Amino acid sequence: MFPADFAYARARTLDEALDLLDEAHAAGQEAKLIAGGQSLLPMMKLRLAAPEVLIDIAGLPEPVQGGSYGQSHTIGALTTYRQLGAGRLPSEAPALTDALAVLADPQVRARGTLGGAVAHGDPASDLPAVLLALNAELTIASRKGRHPETHLGPYPRRAGKEPSDIGRREITLDDFLQGIYTTDLAEDEIITHVRISTQGATASAYEKFPHPASHLPLAGVAVVLTYKSGRLTDENGHVTDLADGSIVRAAIAVTGISPRPYRARAAEALLNDAFPTPETLAAAAARVTLESPGSSKRVSLLGDQHASADYRAHLAEVLTRRALAKAIARGGRNS
Amino acid sequence: MPAAREVPVQLTVNGAPRSATVPARTLLVHFLRDHLGLTGTHVGCDTTQCGACTVALDGVAVKSCTVLAAQASGCEVTTIEGLASPDGTLHPVQQAFQDEHGLQCGYCTPGMVMAIRQLIEDHPDPTEEQVRHALDGNICRCTGYQNIVAAALRAASATALRATASPTAAALRATASPAAAEREG
Repeated sequence: MFPADFAYARARTLDEALDLLDEAHAAGQEAKLIAGGQSLLPMMKLRLAAPEVLIDIAGLPEPVQGGSYGQSHTIGALTTYRQLGAGRLPSEAPALTDALAVLADPQVRARGTLGGAVAHGDPASDLPAVLLALNAELTIASRKGRHPETHLGPYPRRAGKEPSDIGRREITLDDFLQGIYTTDLAEDEIITHVRISTQGATASAYEKFPHPASHLPLAGVAVVLTYKSGRLTDENGHVTDLADGSIVRAAIAVTGISPRPYRARAAEALLNDAFPTPETLAAAAARVTLESPGSSKRVSLLGDQHASADYRAHLAEVLTRRALAKAIARGGRNS
Repeated sequence: MPAAREVPVQLTVNGAPRSATVPARTLLVHFLRDHLGLTGTHVGCDTTQCGACTVALDGVAVKSCTVLAAQASGCEVTTIEGLASPDGTLHPVQQAFQDEHGLQCGYCTPGMVMAIRQLIEDHPDPTEEQVRHALDGNICRCTGYQNIVAAALRAASATALRATASPTAAALRATASPAAAEREG
């Protein structure tokens, strides 16, 4: 089994990769970027995708660099899952470690990249759920002037020796993901970085129910909780510890059950400024497939021969309870 | 470099330089089997699930049915044929498969051996649970995995013994990977 015929080019720089995208476009050819290719190549072998040009960006030097700035962590889009797992992950986000341990298998994790995971727009992909719960933002490069440049901060813009006609825009992952294999990425753009923000998060977890053969999640739920913390000192010098075990902010993201991974805002709303009693947690989990806090309408659900829509929705509720319990058992209060 | 349907591929395979110009869509596993005659690497499922095609690409285990030969160009590849010493001494993982009867039909074995080699490099002293988790990407339809897991555990202790027994080997490992040496104490 092998892919349909295509032309291959290996880009050595971001500049060259953008040129190759333009050349293919000018020739009226469908081009695809390939990094690890762990999702794209299987699709091409099944002839579900048949790009005419494949541009290999795995060797680009730029999208490998990353760094931390306060509670914000920038990761190069070409970072493989294996590198991500072996590197210094932000300790505030064990949900990432959870996902990296159960995502596909070791050989696939050695090749698959963070940028590929988001660019692919797979409705059943583990990492986007965790990234959504961590309020991920993407940096996307293209030729200057083609797309409005935006900067969401707080990581300082990279100045450097790259050609001045490369522009960058930033977009939240929530806005980027649109539907089944559909994202906001234009044909002349390349994702270079993913930024996650832990914003004082004190507990997190990822739970999935994998398809036994493909290991893809039939449902997966990421939970990131921030507990109330801090100290107040009054005029007499009395110190009051504000940490009372209540949750200030909850982020819950679900994958595998809907056309795109989504933030379960209806469930989150019940946990914001709440004590995590068993009743509250169960009530939040029960709302994980609702479209918005004020609505009783469900998100659009996917079903197929592996699992019906109702079954996937049920899994999402159960996994939300488990992920919440795991995060709470791990996190405790901010000490 | 403009995009081309035929691409030059230059690899170091089991220590020897190999090169050929092949259609861009040639998968690494076909390059190894059909162009180089290295048929020890097997094609099982062809859908990135079974792991029979596992090889080491620049020292890291990957599924060669899901890598283009063109993507691998410039890299070092180690296949099952490259594990034993030139004098025929088996690699500790291969030896452990023989000792523990870790194979029946043998179809999955090359991939299992390459995956376990990676596991031991990452976790020199794995638990049974770690072994089973590390073999998530390798399917065996004969053994029920029991003897494969036993072989992996035996290979890990054999590797550890060898490292303690030979000061030179231990020193070499320390130079190659300070982190691994630190883990081992």
